[in-house]
Amino acid sequence: MVGEIWDLIILSPMINVLIVVSGFLFSNFGLSIIVLTIIVRGITMPLTLKQTRSTKALQDLQPKMAELQQKHGKDKQKLAQEQMRMYKESGVNPAGCLLPMLVQLPVWIALFQSIIRVLAVIPEDFLKLSGHLYTSWPQVFSLVPLNSRFLWLDLAVPDRYLMLPILVGGTMWLSQKMVTPRTGDPKQQAQSRMMLWMMPMMFAFITMQFPSGLALYWVVSNVIQIGMQYFMTGGWGGLSTQAADKPAGRDKKYIKRITRVEEKAADYEASESDIGADVSADIGGAKGGASSDRYQAGLRAMKRHSKKSKRPK
Amino acid sequence: MLQKRTIGKVLILAVLLLALASGLAIPSCRPAQGIPRGWSGVSVTDGALFLGSMGGKLVAIDKSTQERLWPDVPFKQKQSSSLFSCTQGATAVAIYGTPAVTAELVYITGYNGKMYAINRETGASRWVYPREDELEPIVGGPVAAGGKVYFGGSDGRLYALDAATGDKVWIFESEGKIWGTPAVNGDTVYVGSFDNKLYALNVADGSLKWEFKTEGAIVATPLVYDGTVYFGSFDRYLYALSEIDGSLRWKYQADNWFWSRPLADDGIIYAGSVDGKVHALKAENGEKMVVFDMESPVSSSPILAAGSVIVAVEAGQVYSLEASTGQKKLLVNLEEEIFAPLAAGDGVIYIHSADDVLYAVDAFSGATQWSLELESE
Repeated sequence: MVGEIWDLIILSPMINVLIVVSGFLFSNFGLSIIVLTIIVRGITMPLTLKQTRSTKALQDLQPKMAELQQKHGKDKQKLAQEQMRMYKESGVNPAGCLLPMLVQLPVWIALFQSIIRVLAVIPEDFLKLSGHLYTSWPQVFSLVPLNSRFLWLDLAVPDRYLMLPILVGGTMWLSQKMVTPRTGDPKQQAQSRMMLWMMPMMFAFITMQFPSGLALYWVVSNVIQIGMQYFMTGGWGGLSTQAADKPAGRDKKYIKRITRVEEKAADYEASESDIGADVSADIGGAKGGASSDRYQAGLRAMKRHSKKSKRPK
Repeated sequence: MLQKRTIGKVLILAVLLLALASGLAIPSCRPAQGIPRGWSGVSVTDGALFLGSMGGKLVAIDKSTQERLWPDVPFKQKQSSSLFSCTQGATAVAIYGTPAVTAELVYITGYNGKMYAINRETGASRWVYPREDELEPIVGGPVAAGGKVYFGGSDGRLYALDAATGDKVWIFESEGKIWGTPAVNGDTVYVGSFDNKLYALNVADGSLKWEFKTEGAIVATPLVYDGTVYFGSFDRYLYALSEIDGSLRWKYQADNWFWSRPLADDGIIYAGSVDGKVHALKAENGEKMVVFDMESPVSSSPILAAGSVIVAVEAGQVYSLEASTGQKKLLVNLEEEIFAPLAAGDGVIYIHSADDVLYAVDAFSGATQWSLELESE
């Protein structure tokens, strides 16, 4: 049942579209995969834009996050609350970057299944292709099996020259490097480095195991991602030696939000300073002993009150 | 907190990647999806049956006792290096072609790109082609005739070898894969290719007599009957060509590919299609007589047995067809997929199912006389 739904909704449409597009592109299956990639990235563009903005905003929040870390480093619960508050107020969803990848996962699987069918890799799979072809699209019957040659590649098998694994890993690294947040925290730096290298290496490794057609999709997809990030974030981001400080025009919404949050935080800091100074002035030269304890307790209470009243609703 | 979140993200991504690997690789571990398993038909001789098992072996069976005539002959497979491939370490060679049997030798082709000649009496290897290295995968079966043995490969070539020695006699190159079994009639060998053409070649030197271009790839083995060559194409047409010059006599359109070899009986052409129908047409002009709705794709070639046309469908049912009445009669339901061409002899139908079991079914009653799990031996 699940298999039938999968075939009906995802696999069969993908197979027929790939075949027809290939027919229009000189029976070139490689070009057909590139067009498919552009179509899929076009459909998922709203998600990708959201992710890119979210990542950029996350990057911009890093200084404030570092401040929070310093401030509430010992109170984990408080730190978490403050971080979540900042995420919420700046419209950032830290898990948002996973969504475009999740959406593309079925596409990867369907593309893999399409490749082994339309390229006549294995007779059993190729025979089953007939059940996926739309009888109302007569041209699809004449076009299969598709030609598996594209540039130096046989799209049905892994790239024997290992160029594609390098391209997949390289473009993914570039894409991630562009949006890797700069941070002064050594631990976070280590985490970022791990993230930066792990995913590209894993994908490069996977590329060595699967048909080149699938890897071609990943390379083109990464290049599109790099292009989108370039225009969204106003430059090469983390690739540039000078951090891209100039804001991208389309990030205004997020920048406004972040600025608002920063302003509130600044007001809040200023209030704290004022309260401290006023109280100090009021109590004059009171020092040490019980009076000093009472002063500290009062100061803490006033700060608590101040925080409560300043906290945005 | 941030560190935990980052680690969480890494874990989620790792799980996603594993899911990807599983999604892509695990389906390929299922039979008939991702792994070539083969669908060799059965060659029937006076006292023996020869076929390729899904364990990559040539099996010779005594018809009367169902005992092995000699130990199964295994063929070696090139090792797979893919991490996620389920074939890693496996050595079974998929065998799609039905063995060709002569008085002395049994010829069999393997998906490993090798052609083998085995002594019919002892099971000893006589020769292998090529002696070193391998060709592209071979899907079609061999045909032995006139002191030569012919087979096509995924490299687009049709090979003609000396039947006794395995020496190359000639090679004909097409522009697409050749997955079909050639057909020999007199001094002509016919073969279809993925380049959409049917070729008629001189058996002596492989020179081209004529070619006919269709709009789709050709896998089906041609049938030569009464001066006409009948074959189906992926363009959904069944063609009838003059044997002399390849001129078109008629063509008939179905709803999907023609994969199997048609059958001729008493002036009627029976052609199974993967559209789930068997089309019965007048041989002389292609006029439709009756279309049998088989309710499942037909990729196995039909045969004549006990005076009836017998057809197996992929879903596992075997039917007897009667064109004059348009009736189909269910002989047996094996409840296992059938892709291999049927064979018959002495009123018995031999069926090699996709679960690697050989069935002997009475062509009149449909009763299963015996069945043999090939890999359990």
